[in-house]
Amino acid sequence: MEDLLNIFVKSIFIENMVFAYFLGMCSYLAVSKTVKTAVGLGGAVIFVLTITVPINYLLNEYLLKPGALKWIGPQYQDVNLDFLTFIMFIAVIASMVQLVEMIVEKFSPTLYSELGIFLPLIAVNCAILGGSLFMQTKDFINVFESSVYGLGSGIGFFLAILAIASIREKIRYSNIPEPLKGLGITFIICGLMAFGFMSFMGIKI
Amino acid sequence: MSKDKEKLFSKQNRALLTDPLDDNNPITVQVLGICSALAITVKLEPAVVMTLSVIFVMGSSNMIISILRNIIPNRIRIIVQLVVIASLVAIVDQFLKAYAYDVSKQLSIFIGLIITNCIVMGRLEAFAIGNGVWKSFLDGVGNALGYGWILIVVAFIRELFGSGELFGIPVIPQFIYDLGYTDNGLMLLSPMALIVVGVYIWIQRYFNRKLIEKD
Amino acid sequence: MNRDSNKHTYLFAAIMVITIAFVLSFTSESLKELKADNIKKEKMQNILSAVGINVSRDESEELYTQYIIEELSLTNNGDIDNAVSAFNINLALEIKKDINTQRFPLYVANVDNNKYYIIPLRGNGLWNAIWGYMALKEDINTIKGVSFGHQAETAGLGAEITQDWFTNSFVDEKILNDNGDFVGVYVTKTNNDPENTDKNDNEVDAISGATITGDGVSDMIKERLEKYLPYFNNITNE
Repeated sequence: MEDLLNIFVKSIFIENMVFAYFLGMCSYLAVSKTVKTAVGLGGAVIFVLTITVPINYLLNEYLLKPGALKWIGPQYQDVNLDFLTFIMFIAVIASMVQLVEMIVEKFSPTLYSELGIFLPLIAVNCAILGGSLFMQTKDFINVFESSVYGLGSGIGFFLAILAIASIREKIRYSNIPEPLKGLGITFIICGLMAFGFMSFMGIKI
Repeated sequence: MSKDKEKLFSKQNRALLTDPLDDNNPITVQVLGICSALAITVKLEPAVVMTLSVIFVMGSSNMIISILRNIIPNRIRIIVQLVVIASLVAIVDQFLKAYAYDVSKQLSIFIGLIITNCIVMGRLEAFAIGNGVWKSFLDGVGNALGYGWILIVVAFIRELFGSGELFGIPVIPQFIYDLGYTDNGLMLLSPMALIVVGVYIWIQRYFNRKLIEKD
Repeated sequence: MNRDSNKHTYLFAAIMVITIAFVLSFTSESLKELKADNIKKEKMQNILSAVGINVSRDESEELYTQYIIEELSLTNNGDIDNAVSAFNINLALEIKKDINTQRFPLYVANVDNNKYYIIPLRGNGLWNAIWGYMALKEDINTIKGVSFGHQAETAGLGAEITQDWFTNSFVDEKILNDNGDFVGVYVTKTNNDPENTDKNDNEVDAISGATITGDGVSDMIKERLEKYLPYFNNITNE
């Protein structure tokens, strides 16, 4: 239980998808400037990450890792399918996003129209694939640990873009030099916030 | 009347290669592909290897999709694009693990993230799906060069000021260190990449006024 | 054929899948040996650098066969298991096994007529795994040298464990205390021995800003070396 809590907190603050690894910002920075859309995107990312990371964990454990196929029979011990990783992970992510889209459209058409273009865009969001690829490097011992990691990463991403969106809304009225306005100042602010998040590094749980 | 065939490197085609370097830079103007750009620019070597990988992936994927553009069924268009990109990246990854093992360890998951690099998919949808093979190839390579240019600039600054080296070779003469200069450790930390890109955008828009965002 | 018809779609998808499966498998298989070779040579390189032999990856295989005279897989009772190849043990996986089934690789080196025992280490740093090799002199007390590696420690901080200045501070340190009990080596901020002249204190200086990584190194050394004590007791009592 303590391990799970450890992973959870670590993935939100210490290994934050946005501030430690800068993943997932492209679509956000390019498309929106408001807190409302940030909440929508963040929520969708939490959902997709929490679903795809455990599924990809199982795929990795029982299909892709070197020696993963030994549950079929001992003669498959040496088979190494890890060259299929990228394709399988992306396939899982794209299908899950498609599924989520269909479910949301059916059960909550308002939410669906609010999310608009974000939902399909999530399939190619670096943070989603990044979550699965990082999971691969982490040696989790069971599917619960990987789910907690997925959930935590999603929440960390959500908190991060929420913070960035709020700041962006506020600085619209600041006196920034013309060439720096918009994208330039956003990058610098993200950099400073990332430095701030580095202060979480020393926490031992 | 015979149609004049457009020269291989006509003005239009050359523009495909040069526009993304400044006017239409994928990172600083189109705001795509930031993700992988930042964590791997601590040193020049991984940045260069990443650039070459992206050039290969974008050039090839643009070509392949352009060749197939008239027979790809519309319903599975996006999936086909994703699969083509993922396969090319998988091939690059295998080659790096075999021939450039040290750099592949430094690049780790970021090679895989080329797949979700918005630039790659973006150019397929915006250009390759509706244009000829040679033009698509140039467009792919041009955008990859524009992306790589930013990576190399950032990596150059970070490695030079952060470790006093370029490509692992020390370049700052000892007497400058003796005078009291020390390497700027801050440059080695990844948030610095964001700040360097921010300043680059500032400078770029100062000289190229038409890129300034209108509110 | 209409490209949006079902038949066309299925046919296209099928051909695409088969082509890609073929191309990827072919690439992976043809490069398999090169990839495995890189990994093998890197391991040999790391083992050699623990005894102070630093070579490029290309030269590592030849020098490995020259200097490493024995590879042993030990059980937790100190017995030798001849059925398991020590070099092929994947420490990351092995370390998770139950203590009775776990095997502990040990490399014996002969350099200039001196015998050294090289022990692989693996532990946890701040972000992810850290590992390394420790070479002990024949007295199984004095350290000949160490080499460290890490998955994702911070550049300039935790990542400094791979640097010479850190690994050199381990040379000639002892793993037993004055009473002859095993204590390992502590990476500590309270060493009070900046020039590291005291080689009997079982301590080395920590890295500023990398306390957790340093603790990880200390824990790793203690935890791993403990497992080899039964074997070492056996051979010193012979």
